[in-house]
Amino acid sequence: MPDIDLAALAAQRFGFGPRPGELRVIAGDPLGWVKGQIGRQATLPAPIAALPPAEDDLLAFGRWLVRRRLNNGNGARIEERAERQGITQEELQRLSVEEDFVENFRARVTRAVAARVEAALISPTPVHERLVHFWSNHFTVSAAKPGAVALPPSFEKEAIRPHVGGRFADMLLASTKHPGMIVYLDNWLSVGPNSRVGQNPNRGRRLPGGGRPSGINENLAREVLELQTLGVNGGYTQADVQALAAIITGWTYERPRLRDLVNDNLATRTGGQLFEFDADAHEPGPKTLLNRTYAQTGVAQGEAALGDLARHASTARFIATKLCRHYIADDPPPAAVARVERAFRDSDGDLRETMEALVDSPEAWETPRAKFKRPEEYAISVLRAANVRDLPPGAGIAALAAMGQRPYSAPGPDGWADTADAWLTADLVFKRIEFAQAYAQRIARADVDPVQVGRACLGGLMSDETETAIRRAESPVQGFALLFSAPEMQRR
Amino acid sequence: MLNRRHLLAGATGAAALSFPLFAFGQAQTTDKRLLVVILRGGMDGLSAMPPIGDGAYASLRGRLAIARAGADAALPLDGTFGLHKNLAKMHALYRAGELLPIHACATAYRERSHFDAQNVLETGAAAPFERGEGWLNKALGALPQSRPEMGMALSAQAPLILRGPAAVATWSPSALPDVQSDTIERLMALYEARDPALAQALDSAISANAIAMDAGAGDMRARPRAITPIAQTAARFLKSDNGPIAAVLDMGGWDTHANQGLEQGPLARALTALDDGLDAFKTEMGPAWANTVVIIATEFGRTAAPNGANGTDHGTGAAAFLAGGAVRGGRVLADWPGLTRASLHEGRDLRPTTDLRAVFKGVLGDHLSVSNAALERDAFPDSGSVRAAQGLLRA
Repeated sequence: MPDIDLAALAAQRFGFGPRPGELRVIAGDPLGWVKGQIGRQATLPAPIAALPPAEDDLLAFGRWLVRRRLNNGNGARIEERAERQGITQEELQRLSVEEDFVENFRARVTRAVAARVEAALISPTPVHERLVHFWSNHFTVSAAKPGAVALPPSFEKEAIRPHVGGRFADMLLASTKHPGMIVYLDNWLSVGPNSRVGQNPNRGRRLPGGGRPSGINENLAREVLELQTLGVNGGYTQADVQALAAIITGWTYERPRLRDLVNDNLATRTGGQLFEFDADAHEPGPKTLLNRTYAQTGVAQGEAALGDLARHASTARFIATKLCRHYIADDPPPAAVARVERAFRDSDGDLRETMEALVDSPEAWETPRAKFKRPEEYAISVLRAANVRDLPPGAGIAALAAMGQRPYSAPGPDGWADTADAWLTADLVFKRIEFAQAYAQRIARADVDPVQVGRACLGGLMSDETETAIRRAESPVQGFALLFSAPEMQRR
Repeated sequence: MLNRRHLLAGATGAAALSFPLFAFGQAQTTDKRLLVVILRGGMDGLSAMPPIGDGAYASLRGRLAIARAGADAALPLDGTFGLHKNLAKMHALYRAGELLPIHACATAYRERSHFDAQNVLETGAAAPFERGEGWLNKALGALPQSRPEMGMALSAQAPLILRGPAAVATWSPSALPDVQSDTIERLMALYEARDPALAQALDSAISANAIAMDAGAGDMRARPRAITPIAQTAARFLKSDNGPIAAVLDMGGWDTHANQGLEQGPLARALTALDDGLDAFKTEMGPAWANTVVIIATEFGRTAAPNGANGTDHGTGAAAFLAGGAVRGGRVLADWPGLTRASLHEGRDLRPTTDLRAVFKGVLGDHLSVSNAALERDAFPDSGSVRAAQGLLRA
């Protein structure tokens, strides 16, 4: 394969497709271009750096809950509490937010989605950005759950980004301790039956809607085992789910109090550390998980257990399979999976070495380009090819939602599907064509040749049929619509 | 400029209104049709189908109690129940024996999260996130595959109830711009030359768009959330040659925590939309209505008493409806638990006495002829203790 075609393959398969002019840079050393971005502790992309931290999202959500109760005439208890804490009516009234849930969070989510898309659009290290998207989907926190609506962006920024070139164990721990995950999978509601709160439920903090949590909630523990570490066939039992759930009882987060909401500041009290271990909710005593007994006390018990799950043989196999499925093919080549699995095991879950093993696999370069891009990846690669650098506010969300992948809103904790059968459906394919048409209309100019743009992002990977179709187009708009809808732009 | 609408309008002869890719005519065919309407957000069954004959109703509901007499009175069903006055067309169906209202029903789920409750409603499982496949997909997969796609979602992606191994079609109104018909044709030629899977998807989309546009879907750009045009479009799909035998559509706007209203307000508006949507669907189905069942269900009911904001919060026991010419209606299906404080679930919600899975199983078995084995093994595993409801349909 000529260097320019290898460069196009590298950019499409491991990045978000090239921007104009980029192929020539990559062609000097495609493999080096990919590997140079793995594990690089890049400074945060500017749009991401500007996003608020999780504490800000928690405060916004807390303000909305309080405001709603005050506005609905359910605020008697809040007003009592305010009085006890010396908070004036005037200060309470300052908690003004939009009354409507959607209105209140739309601007926040719109901004975060725009930041995520823009970071990928302008990134000089798109391979790194793709890894962020992969891992953020592996550890899904979704705004589809109303209680977690504000949290996926800060979760991605704080728990995922720092670790994509680091150790899997560190990412697993950061994820399990982040308020985003703790809220999304309900661990803040999990109380050990023999803990102090379990024995005396009045000790527990009230839930926003009244009532107090009682009993163990297995959600997070189950998904850690099933979706994040060992995998569904990884060799654990329901007893192991219960054991892990008991081990991480008390893993919660610093919930904003009324005073924090009024002051609009949580960090002064927490020092920016939102994870909280609530010893009163923690189920006491040793637990046995996967035939190993954990006798540690406090948070150390969960840290030890998660550390062992991260280096479990099933985890190595599960992660290797998912990575190869994402980057290479829906049915990942077994030889590549085996190589990646070995690298994960031998390096104790070092994600840089793991990913390098994948990139060094011949299958990563020789497998036919049949992998169907997910809508977000597809859209970003089209926009990069079209030399778009920024999006009108909200435009990204509407288009991506129409194509079936509203960012940060995966339907369940297993994240977005990573095989073509989920995406190559009639309506979604047609929506992509409409998207292609929309951007063709936006960028087409009489002096820009869509064939040249096609060569600039696909090199020689553009088929003769596609090139001919574009050449015969009746207008530049139609030429771009055909290019952006072509099979070579949808598959990699 | 020509656009897709023109192209498709031009192609809209009788022949264009079929799913053309496959010749599935050989397989066994059925004239039975099923529409599932999922009311997302938790419909307040005590307003939609008020138990006006229950002595505890008026005092428990307070300001949200529907009257027994007067201009805004409930439309009577039997001695116990009525329908909200905005469900007048559904009431006419009831009198024609084509509506079977169901009350005090629920899935196996007993918590109060929309997210989890809808998951259980659609998977048919005993608990949230136990399964990744929907019961309707599994049931359709167990039938003779007489169509390229046995099921269809009136949404861009199949909702969970239709997710699974069986192929399903999808269609939704679009907010994106039209694509020129000429561009579609050129693209089709390119896909046929280079990418059969994309060609097949585009072909299916073109067929679906033709049917949808013919049903007036062009108007949906102006009001993409209106239920009536979507319901009409669903009927067009279900009627078309080689089209799906089952379709699913979603309707939101039921999560009425505050100021839900009585004879007016957000709930009353949602009920009107449901009433109009079902009526439009019936009209569009024409004679095929006689072989049709519509299941209307929600993920849970709402609290029996109003909250402090003149709304209701997430509850348990709910109302549901079966409609259609195939339904043995004109009666109410409810083992009514009553509304005294002592009879409420956890002291606050209508106590569920009918398992929705029994209703679903009854419809799938008696209407679509899904075998018992397939119901127990594929569609509703671990539901052995829940027997299919008998006699829901006309003999």
